Amino acid sequence: MVLYNAPTNKMLVDEIVDAHVLVIGSGGAGVRAAVEASRYGGVALVSKTIAGKGGCTTMAEGGYNAVLRDQDSIAVHREDTLSGGAYLNDPALVDALTLEAPERMADLVRWGAVFDVTQDRQVAQRPFGGQRFPRTCYAGDRTGHEMIMTLLDRLDATDTHLYQEVSVVDLVKDENGAVAGAVALDRDGDVVLFRADATVLATGGGTQAYDISTNSAAGTGDGFAMAYRAEAELIDMEMIQFHPTGAVYPYDARGRLVTEAVRGEGGILLNARRERFMERYDPERMELSTRDVVARAIATEVLEGRGTTRGGVYLDVTHLPRERIEARLPVMLEQFLAFGVDIRREPMEVAPTAHHIMGGLRITPECRTTIPGLFACGEVTGGVHGANRLGGNALADTQVFGKRAGEFAGKAPERSGRIDAARVDEVTRMLDAFFEGAINPADVRKDLKLTMWNQAGIFRNAPDLRTALGHVRRLADKRLCAASTANLLECCTIRNMCTTASLIVRCALLRPENRGAHVRLDAEIATDPATSPFGHTYVSLSREGIERREVPA
Amino acid sequence: MKEITILVSRYDPAVDAEPHFEEYTVRVNEGARVLHALHAVHDEHDPTLAYRYCCGSGQCGSCAVRVDGKPVLACMEEARDGMTVEPLDLPVLKDLTVDMSPVIAKIARICPAPDAGLPSREEIEAIKPLRDCIECLCCVSACPALQVTEFAGPTVLRQEMRLALDPRDSGDRIGDAIEKGLFYCTTCKRCTEVCPKEIDVPGKAIEKLREIANRRGLTLPRHQEVARLVQETGRSVERTEATFLEQVPEVIEPDGPVRGEVGFFVGCMFNGRVPQTALDAMEVMKRNGIRVIVPHDQVCCGSPLIRTGQTSNVGDLKRKNIEAFASRGIKTVMTICAGCGATLKNDYETPFTVKDVTEVLTEYGIELPAKLDVRATYHDPCHLLRGQGISEQPRTILREAVREFVEMPSQCCGAGGGVRSGVPEEAKALGAKRDECVKATGADVVVTVCPFCEFHIADCTDVPVKNLTTILLEGYKKKDAEREGSA
Repeated sequence: MVLYNAPTNKMLVDEIVDAHVLVIGSGGAGVRAAVEASRYGGVALVSKTIAGKGGCTTMAEGGYNAVLRDQDSIAVHREDTLSGGAYLNDPALVDALTLEAPERMADLVRWGAVFDVTQDRQVAQRPFGGQRFPRTCYAGDRTGHEMIMTLLDRLDATDTHLYQEVSVVDLVKDENGAVAGAVALDRDGDVVLFRADATVLATGGGTQAYDISTNSAAGTGDGFAMAYRAEAELIDMEMIQFHPTGAVYPYDARGRLVTEAVRGEGGILLNARRERFMERYDPERMELSTRDVVARAIATEVLEGRGTTRGGVYLDVTHLPRERIEARLPVMLEQFLAFGVDIRREPMEVAPTAHHIMGGLRITPECRTTIPGLFACGEVTGGVHGANRLGGNALADTQVFGKRAGEFAGKAPERSGRIDAARVDEVTRMLDAFFEGAINPADVRKDLKLTMWNQAGIFRNAPDLRTALGHVRRLADKRLCAASTANLLECCTIRNMCTTASLIVRCALLRPENRGAHVRLDAEIATDPATSPFGHTYVSLSREGIERREVPA
Repeated sequence: MKEITILVSRYDPAVDAEPHFEEYTVRVNEGARVLHALHAVHDEHDPTLAYRYCCGSGQCGSCAVRVDGKPVLACMEEARDGMTVEPLDLPVLKDLTVDMSPVIAKIARICPAPDAGLPSREEIEAIKPLRDCIECLCCVSACPALQVTEFAGPTVLRQEMRLALDPRDSGDRIGDAIEKGLFYCTTCKRCTEVCPKEIDVPGKAIEKLREIANRRGLTLPRHQEVARLVQETGRSVERTEATFLEQVPEVIEPDGPVRGEVGFFVGCMFNGRVPQTALDAMEVMKRNGIRVIVPHDQVCCGSPLIRTGQTSNVGDLKRKNIEAFASRGIKTVMTICAGCGATLKNDYETPFTVKDVTEVLTEYGIELPAKLDVRATYHDPCHLLRGQGISEQPRTILREAVREFVEMPSQCCGAGGGVRSGVPEEAKALGAKRDECVKATGADVVVTVCPFCEFHIADCTDVPVKNLTTILLEGYKKKDAEREGSA
């Protein structure tokens, strides 16, 4: 170990890295931010996985929403997004999203992305749920993978320093209270201190806090937790998108995403009685209703005994031509074949799965958070998608706000303050304590995930949420044990998952209405989304509550 | 839940001199993948087990390991009782984690021209099959060329072709591809076999890059000689003695009643270099009641040209061969050369069915030979095993023909893809590895069904190498001699 801060001889870190902009996270938003920020100065991009292999962008299948045709319009995309989001979205963020999504798509194409194109050489688009125009651009059903490969190509052309398999543990501040960098662990558990003028948080989502989730192993909510500990404010954390269609079996693959593109390409939902039940929930939009509606419909069918023996419903594409399934849904075909189901001949079995966290850091359109020096973009932010995200809007979000975060972080002035040594000390002390702990982190993780699924899932009520909160807090207080320095990270991750879970439950208790993805079976107030008197829930170290807003006449 | 016992390779460079296996018994759910078994080891036995994973659904390429020796994605491969789990054949960092970065760094980045527009639909469709790669490096772990050369790896060459197909890219992909070992690939297709996305790197990237190299005059001189020979003689090898076609009539009638009829595609090696083996095969056919029609106007199948990217005259060869068999009303064409068979099956559109000799013999059923008093092992020709998906039929026949059959690990001998002629030192090094495997079996004879493998392995080992039909014929002769002896 080398000594940091020689005059005080206080903190022990193994390596110090200085950069103008520190970007945390290597998904679509983080890489896009780094690409942009590198125009203004030195950038360090810290990735807890091998870049391109982590996060949810790589796994995103269906597509990227952008207005590209004359028959479509930004205004319609905006209205679809607001109405799909149950009017909880921040309109200024939606403006940026819808207006700039096409420009960011053009960036990707210029940088070499292999999107599907039409015969007349335009980026091809498919219909997705809750949208009045087929505006979802795609690369088969591996759209996000295509994007991340392209972004990494582009990143390679910049001077960004990429730190792979290095995981940020906590943010650090300077004496002025501005975020001044972060403390991280490398693969061996050695401590690295990053110092930067501006820090971009692009850590993605965290539905790994739920037992059944589409997220990669990296989706543990680290950014929500770190920002919360750094005194940032988060909004709408109760808004968890349950994707309607996750795999049901085998057991260990439960929750694996079955892309909305399956329904976009014409797939239909049937219950165990072979009834096309969406007729009863949204006869107009049927399978292409918004995700909150379809997820609740499936959950209701199963709860009322019309599900399959495995607790799902059928998603069927057998009526589609084989060639279309093979060309448009190759990943689905391959994944189900690996589990013994040929989707060209037999239906898939699906059930809802925790997919996306609509809530997150409160940001301005310039991606500034509520604390100086910290910017955020992508799934770790709140406000863009309101109470329910439209399929295809997340990939667009990563690019629009990734670029914005990179730009405004890049333009941030040089920081004047010194790093708060006590904070770094605190982090290293916390890490040391894990060597003294006694509890297996794996046991806590399992317990947490089941608690969240059972008591803070699709259908909620106050008593269950209060039980969940108590239990999550108890889990968060457990003294986790690191079996080796390389295991320190696992302890930090479990700690972050517990924090994220508690934020979700606290916000869920704060919102007394049914809104988008948030369903309170005990709601005493019936509200209409467009005229609801409630605004964002908010939570930070210093306050929590729910905003009231002017009710439009 | 069920209980399984697995062997996991453990290695901590700080402590261990070399990797060793540890045995773990874990409880997993029905349908659990290898990854879930590793999770169980980590959660319940040893939290220090180092292994990578992320998406859990075959999309990120983090978790590739070797299970029972074969590279797979841990998240997609079903866990089995008794399986061994090892890291990929790359430098090991700890336990199951390997250093992927040196290979990933070799995968080229696109250099888009500033005025690049959207490619056409046709261009996109051509790129897509090469774009599915998740950089899991299964192919790199499995590739034989990488064991003995500086070959950069299948997926690295895949990316060169993906970029060569993109009108937006401004890099020199052919120059890069040659530098990265374009001519080292034996087209054995082991990479395709282990690829979770089944990307046909030899067919869709290597051979196509070699075609572009050819148009730029960059084909290896030894390969150009072969092309010249085919152009001048219709054959890819020089004749050294009376050819097979010169020695046989157009129709070879069986000894007894006619049970079946096939056309025979002899191929250049059997015609010009080792005609005796083809003559042996004809004897086996006669003995088993199969009439063989041998059109004398057949020519080279084109395989040596396709594999080396010299395809400009291949259309002509295809036309001549199809005409030779179709004009005689032949319904089934038999090959005894794995390379010709794979080419006729995969690169041609034929109005007739093509079958390898081992398929023909097992379908008709053969007269059992007397067992030769030898211990034999079998070498899988790449173009039979992966090119045609044939592995059981030759083994079934061989088991009937020898006293003892022993398996040896399957690996390319190094002769294919123009490597024997173009990069002889690589072919020799891979041949030497075959020799090691052969020696380890203690076999008296190596049996195979491909003249290229036969010729090459014979050069690399002192154990005799024989075609399966020769073994059969020897068995029949022994049977006849025993009958005469007892009569």
